[in-house]
Amino acid sequence: MNWGMKMADQDELENLFAQARQDRPALPEALAVRIETDAEAVRLARQAPAPKTYRRWWQDLGGWRGLCGLAAASVAGVWIGFSAPSFLPDPADYLVSQDASFLVADLNLDFEDLEDTE
Amino acid sequence: MEDLTSQTSLSCGEDLAAQRLSDAQLLSRFADGDARAARTLTDRLGPRSYSVAIRILGNRAEAEDVTQEAMMRLWQIAPDWVAGQAQVSTWLYRVTLNLCVDLRRRRRPTALEDAPEPEDGAASVAEQMQDVARRDALQQALDQLPERQRQAVVLRHIEELSNPEIAEIMDISVEAVESLTARGKRSLTAILAGRKDELGYENG
Repeated sequence: MNWGMKMADQDELENLFAQARQDRPALPEALAVRIETDAEAVRLARQAPAPKTYRRWWQDLGGWRGLCGLAAASVAGVWIGFSAPSFLPDPADYLVSQDASFLVADLNLDFEDLEDTE
Repeated sequence: MEDLTSQTSLSCGEDLAAQRLSDAQLLSRFADGDARAARTLTDRLGPRSYSVAIRILGNRAEAEDVTQEAMMRLWQIAPDWVAGQAQVSTWLYRVTLNLCVDLRRRRRPTALEDAPEPEDGAASVAEQMQDVARRDALQQALDQLPERQRQAVVLRHIEELSNPEIAEIMDISVEAVESLTARGKRSLTAILAGRKDELGYENG
């Protein structure tokens, strides 16, 4: 009895599902119009020329891709500045060593001059 | 010569539905500025979102608002849509369900998931709703299910989606979908049986 009742209830549920599938509502015409109006507004807003603002400036720069290139070039420049390839003379070292040799040379000369006079 | 070219492109665009373009292709055309693609997408996807929203919410006016908002999000996401990331319909079902959940939460602060048994509070839930759709037995029973069970049952047994697709929409495993639909159906059967007893129908 109980089992039979359960089966009947399940059949009823399946029938209700089948009816619900059949009765699936169509899109109301007014709603379709509202949706298409939204779509048109979005489409037109996208097509309108963008105001010359931050976004425009950003696009002129090349967006993220442009900024990444710029950043990479800057980092590379700084890196090359600090650790130049071995086949190139290090300008910083060159300047420092030249200054130093001048100083030593001057000092030596001074000492020699002093010795000579003595 | 110029006239010929423009005529050809016009006639190509006019019959988008007949060209059997996929939803993703239509969305891409819309993003490129083709207004007719929006119309075809509305015809194809609008009814699906609306049908689910009605069954989840049990209220036509709210379902209309949800569908309009879900479609609005589709228009907005169009330029950023990555082909192959998911089915457009799957995405739209997910957005629709999320909007329904938000709306129900705003409507009724006490979440349905908190109810331990579906039979609890059945009368008060039914009384709150005045919509015609609520008056049919299935809708009244669906309204009493916990949120996730209702979503799974509606997608499986009314929208007739496959379990893997439902799993993707609900972001759960296929096993979880099977479990939710099975529990949902058991609860619905119990609710309908209880309702018959209340009304004094004869059983079997």
